[in-house]
Amino acid sequence: MIALLGPEIAWYLGVAAFLFATGAFGVLLRRNPLIVLLSLEIMLNGANLALIGFARNLGDGKGQIFALTVMAVAASEVVVGLGLVVALNRKRITLDVDLLNTLRG
Amino acid sequence: MVAGAWICLVAPLAAACLITLGGQRLSRRAAGWVATAACFVAFGGAVASFVGLLTHSASDRQFVSTAWTWITGGSYQSGLSVLIDPLSTFMMLIVAGVGALIVWYSIGYMDGDDEERRYFAYMSLFVFSMLLLVQAGNLLLLLAGWGMVGLSSYLLIGYWHQRPSAIAAAKKAFVMNAIGDATMALAFFLLIQKGNSLEFGVLGGQFSSTVANLIALGLLGGAVAKSAQIPLHTWLPDAMEGPTPVSALIHAATMVTAGVYLIVRTHAIFEQAPKVADLAAGLGAATLLMAGLIALVQVDIKRVIAYSTMSQIGYMFLGAGIGSYPNAMFHLMTHAFFKALLFMTAGIVIHALVDEQDIRKMGGLRQFAPKTYWAFLIGSLALVGIFPFAGFFSKDSILAAAMAKGGAYGYILWAVGLAGTFLTGLYTFRLLFLVFWGEPSAFVREHFHPLGRDVVAFSLAIPVGVLAVLSIVGGWIQFSPWWHPVETWLQIVAAPIVSPASWQEWTSIALSLLLGLSGIAVAWALYGERRLAVPRVAWAQRTLEHKFYFDEAYDALFYEPAVYLAKLLRRGVEQPLIAESGQDLGDDTRDLGGFVARAQTGLVRTYALAIASSVAVLAIVFVIVR
Repeated sequence: MIALLGPEIAWYLGVAAFLFATGAFGVLLRRNPLIVLLSLEIMLNGANLALIGFARNLGDGKGQIFALTVMAVAASEVVVGLGLVVALNRKRITLDVDLLNTLRG
Repeated sequence: MVAGAWICLVAPLAAACLITLGGQRLSRRAAGWVATAACFVAFGGAVASFVGLLTHSASDRQFVSTAWTWITGGSYQSGLSVLIDPLSTFMMLIVAGVGALIVWYSIGYMDGDDEERRYFAYMSLFVFSMLLLVQAGNLLLLLAGWGMVGLSSYLLIGYWHQRPSAIAAAKKAFVMNAIGDATMALAFFLLIQKGNSLEFGVLGGQFSSTVANLIALGLLGGAVAKSAQIPLHTWLPDAMEGPTPVSALIHAATMVTAGVYLIVRTHAIFEQAPKVADLAAGLGAATLLMAGLIALVQVDIKRVIAYSTMSQIGYMFLGAGIGSYPNAMFHLMTHAFFKALLFMTAGIVIHALVDEQDIRKMGGLRQFAPKTYWAFLIGSLALVGIFPFAGFFSKDSILAAAMAKGGAYGYILWAVGLAGTFLTGLYTFRLLFLVFWGEPSAFVREHFHPLGRDVVAFSLAIPVGVLAVLSIVGGWIQFSPWWHPVETWLQIVAAPIVSPASWQEWTSIALSLLLGLSGIAVAWALYGERRLAVPRVAWAQRTLEHKFYFDEAYDALFYEPAVYLAKLLRRGVEQPLIAESGQDLGDDTRDLGGFVARAQTGLVRTYALAIASSVAVLAIVFVIVR
């Protein structure tokens, strides 16, 4: 078992929660899809930080593997998301998520 | 002996399967021969059982052979077993023997029909079912056979399924029989509850009089329905919609006598319930009188014989009800001979006149078909009970037994039976004179075509010949004043509880012979010589032509109320509650959907907010609950 160096777990979780909340507000409040995607990434990184913090606290490598998986998923998600943004731009559609409400019931 | 009984049972079933599975690979004629051969094999098996029983001493003639345990439930169990005793062997011989002759006859009669194979498969199935009924080693198996003969009867009555009247008749027969099946099943439930067994032996046990009465009543219900006695008799005349050999086999010789067999087989319970036994005798007497009267005005050759069948089974019920079991069984046997003979001769007449059954169009057939005439005459004489034909020996001993029962009731039954012989003479010879005597009618001259000398004609003629001989000599087996082998043979299964004195026998014989002959004489004066005008009383004629209004009464009592109730339910329940509520249900669901759809804003942010807030709520809940 490696001796723990650095701050306590609570600090890590505090930063993670702050990142997650920032991202979540960004997703909820911003209208530009690019910024929404960016905020999403921040949320994911918050979650990653929590995972790694726990992994370190418990001395268990599985949490780190999870974090790596989340990164891979985030990368692919960004590819899709940016692809959509580019497609919207090409069709000369204003980049505003509130205008994309065709699925209203 | 045991093997013979099993062969007897299985051979017709095998034929039915073979014809069904063979399909087109079997020619129509071959299907007929397969069925006939199977029935003759069955008869051979029956003879083997009979001979086997003869080798045992008289007190040791009851054998049960169990193939396997069929049904087990709790402490109750029933085996798939056949019973080989004098009574079952007696019935096996009649069913397989007469059955084989009639199936053979069918080869000629059904020649050229589109679906001969189906016909012969049904016939074989019927013979199997009937043999199952009479050979069954316990009441449960008997009920299985009982239901199956009902089914095959239904299939055969409705054989010409293009005719709506045939289908209606088949349904009527099935429903009427189902009522009897139901009462029988109820009796069996009671028997299982009280005796925990459906072996025949359980019937001899001690029951309280209420239980005995209920069981006997249930069995009587089944017997009455199957044997077309009042009040469940109305299906039999309609059943004449089936092909004539079917009428001969099922509705004269075998199936309709199953009720008599049932009473004789279960006589132990009827002896514990004498009131129900009296009821059986009374129903028989009422039926024989009523059917005899109705037969006087019928104009369809087969219906006249059908009513005569009901009347003769009435005699058997009378005999079985008063406890003269051997005489009832003996009359069952002779009746099988001469009634099958009459139906088959009638079939030849119908065949020769291109499916005409109305006797008003017939007449003078004696000149065209003398041999048929002689066969019909023999059958008629046997039916009326003229010496030395078969009916003479069997009918009179039933009457003598009624006399021996004594008391006012016994004498009433006796008098009704005697009146019945007069009616029998009258309606039988009315039919004979109208069809065969007098000048040939224009219809007959135009349509009559004689039989050729081919296999069809021989298939028709030989069984009729055999049955004619049996109708002459078959009765000599037993002449109750002097010798009674049938009674001796059935002694260990069903010993009679009345024994007529010699003077009672002779009185009955003399009177019934006299009345039968006078019936014939009256028929001759009215229809043969036509010396007297046929008396016509309008209301009597109307009542008889409407068959005492039984059909109308049942319509009014059961059919009309049921239809009325159905219409009421449709107007009061189905349309307002079910039909309209369906509409409402659809509307409401759509409204609900519309309401929920408002949550679907199309804005990604709302969704994200919903998810985020839900997660937040869940997280708080988890934290609090923990």
